Amino acid sequence: MGKIEAKDVHFYYGAFHALKGITMEIPQNKVVAFIGPSGCGKSTFLRLFNRMNDLIAGARLDGSIKIDGQDIYAPGIEVDDLRKNVGMVFQRPNPFPKSIFDNIAYGLRVNGIKDKEFIRQRVEESLRGAALWDEVKDKLNASAYALSGGQQQRLCIARAMAVSPSVLLMDEPASALDPISTAKVEELICELRKEVTIVIVTHNMQQASRVSDMTAFFYMGELVEYDDTKTIFINPHEEATQNYITGRFG
Amino acid sequence: MVKFVDTELKSIQREIIRMWTLVYDQMERAKQAVMEFDKNVAKQITIRERLVDAFELKIDSEIEDFIALYTPVAIDLRFVLAMLKINNDLERIGDYAYSIARFVNESDAAGLDKELTERLRMEEMFSTVLEMMTSLRQSLEEMNPAHAISVIAMDDTLDSLNAESNTILVEYAKKDLEAIPLLMGLGSTFRKLERTGDHLTNIAEEIVFFIDAKIIKHTGSQEQE
Amino acid sequence: MSNRPTYPAGYDKSKRRTQRAAFAAFRALSFCIVFILFAILGFIIYKGAGVISWEFLSEAPTDGMTSGGIFPAIVGTLLLMAGSAIVAFPIGIMSGVYMNEYASKSGWAVKFIRLMTNNLSGIPSIVFGLFGMALFVKYLGFGDSILAGSLTLGLLSLPLVIRTTEEALKDIPDSIREGSLALGATKLQTIWKVVLPMGMPRIMTGLILSLGRVSGETAPILFTCAAYFFPQLPTSVFDQCMALPYHLYVIATSGTDIEAQQPIAYGTALVLIAIVLVINLLAGWFRRYFEKRVKTKQ
Repeated sequence: MGKIEAKDVHFYYGAFHALKGITMEIPQNKVVAFIGPSGCGKSTFLRLFNRMNDLIAGARLDGSIKIDGQDIYAPGIEVDDLRKNVGMVFQRPNPFPKSIFDNIAYGLRVNGIKDKEFIRQRVEESLRGAALWDEVKDKLNASAYALSGGQQQRLCIARAMAVSPSVLLMDEPASALDPISTAKVEELICELRKEVTIVIVTHNMQQASRVSDMTAFFYMGELVEYDDTKTIFINPHEEATQNYITGRFG
Repeated sequence: MVKFVDTELKSIQREIIRMWTLVYDQMERAKQAVMEFDKNVAKQITIRERLVDAFELKIDSEIEDFIALYTPVAIDLRFVLAMLKINNDLERIGDYAYSIARFVNESDAAGLDKELTERLRMEEMFSTVLEMMTSLRQSLEEMNPAHAISVIAMDDTLDSLNAESNTILVEYAKKDLEAIPLLMGLGSTFRKLERTGDHLTNIAEEIVFFIDAKIIKHTGSQEQE
Repeated sequence: MSNRPTYPAGYDKSKRRTQRAAFAAFRALSFCIVFILFAILGFIIYKGAGVISWEFLSEAPTDGMTSGGIFPAIVGTLLLMAGSAIVAFPIGIMSGVYMNEYASKSGWAVKFIRLMTNNLSGIPSIVFGLFGMALFVKYLGFGDSILAGSLTLGLLSLPLVIRTTEEALKDIPDSIREGSLALGATKLQTIWKVVLPMGMPRIMTGLILSLGRVSGETAPILFTCAAYFFPQLPTSVFDQCMALPYHLYVIATSGTDIEAQQPIAYGTALVLIAIVLVINLLAGWFRRYFEKRVKTKQ
């Protein structure tokens, strides 16, 4: 059984049919990359997994998405519980205007944890997990805005990991970063797979190939091909996939 | 599956070293098979030849995967390209060991004339090849081009031994017409070993090229810091 | 490329000349505004500085308001400002939060509230005064009182507070909200712990500026609160009080001795302007302070 199972998912923004019958299974503790041209629906699909699209007015979903066998759109599912389990890292680093410490502690605090010692330990663990501890341990009370872009993004990853989700969604997490920060984030992704199932949307084909175990190619709201990353990048079955990854698109 | 570029490169290197051990082993057995004219050992070689071929394919596809998934550049690219070529060279060397074994297997002769093998300096021919392989392997493991450079000079020994062997074999053939098939087999063994030397020289050059590039890169980055 | 354009000779020079002339005009007009401001300030200071003294600031008017100070009016104005703030801030901030965070952006509720808010801010202040008198003074029976005045002034500043809150929150990128929601925070937690603290500098600035506006209003308190002459300090919210703008109006138009009262009028005006100025400076300082606080430590 997959960690995430999507079955015949259709998604509409008003009259626009953004996702057209997507069925896919994401295995536990794997990194799955979503690739495809802009507007192909990959981000939309990603944001269904933590119901981030709920915020959009006039959006409608058909089909089912299950995480650990539980339909996340079933009535009675509380979105905040879901999001505690399904973390997300965004395209641009979005630290809160708080101290580094408080940024990490935020997720714990809003979920009711008050034990100061536990929070302190968890902050350290998360920062270590994001390979950021050594860089910030002497300035935990400094503003998160004082960090560089790459550090901020790793802070955001640490923040997401602090609440110990079992799935981590990453929406182009390195697209706003320089190559060195990108490499660090990629390394981090490889480390984190031991703890969480990771779904990553990326425009960077090399990133998908380096980082992921499986790759899904989306085009015009459809899932064109979904296979082992090796197969997709060495011997894709669909011509559209081949054209896209070789840069011969349209 | 490990995902970091370095660990991936290390794993390719490890596989190549394993291939190396395998091929070295084949060549060592080939030596034994010919020197002692032992058909049992020769049979073992024919069986293991399949393993060498399979291993070559495995490494090839691994390097293919690496290039496709990691799009290496600079030192990484030179490294995997060198490994790709070394892999093919090793496979050819394995082939030579195999055909030497086949010659032993298919020969009707009961054994070799001690005097002949000594005059041919066959022992020295094989030993030189094996020594070259050992040095190159060490150079690859330690990333030290010095061993590789010394190997290139050793190829001359193989060339001259091979050239001398012709005259000796012709001389013997004149004396004993019955032995001609065996002598031809020995001649072809020498040529195979000489070809092996050429492949080893290629490997040496590959190693020197890629390690030197590494050294150049290192000094460059030190200057930056 | 055979069709190369031939540029008319001298056009370069003429277009640069036009640009220089236009900018000179813009600059002159901008400085005009500064000049006017300084002219007003200078005039008031010139006329009013003479009467400013400790006694003027700390004593009640005497002799039919031809001498003495304006202390009760200063206190009254400050009280009214505080009162209107207590009325307008919570309602205004909550409406602003509702409109920007909760209500669907294109839904009828927001459109309706925004339309009403705009209308509210377009209503002349004298109409507020009239309405305040009808509702608070008469219907609710508060009488002419600080309470009725504060409520009326609060209503008057409501649109500004709502608008600045809304604008302040609108400028906070959605990615910050999503970042909070994605951690399992509820919408209320997100607003309370992330959005409002981030919007605070601008909201505070808007609030303080609205106080400045309230301090200068005459019409709304005319029928609801302001006393023509009430030399003692108010003791409860149901008391009437004096206020600077109204006091100014009274002594400038219907005093007992216009000649003697003129310096007092200018002095009052000077104090009023000084209060508004202090408030504006305070707003700027507050904004910087809050911004720094938000950015560094919480």
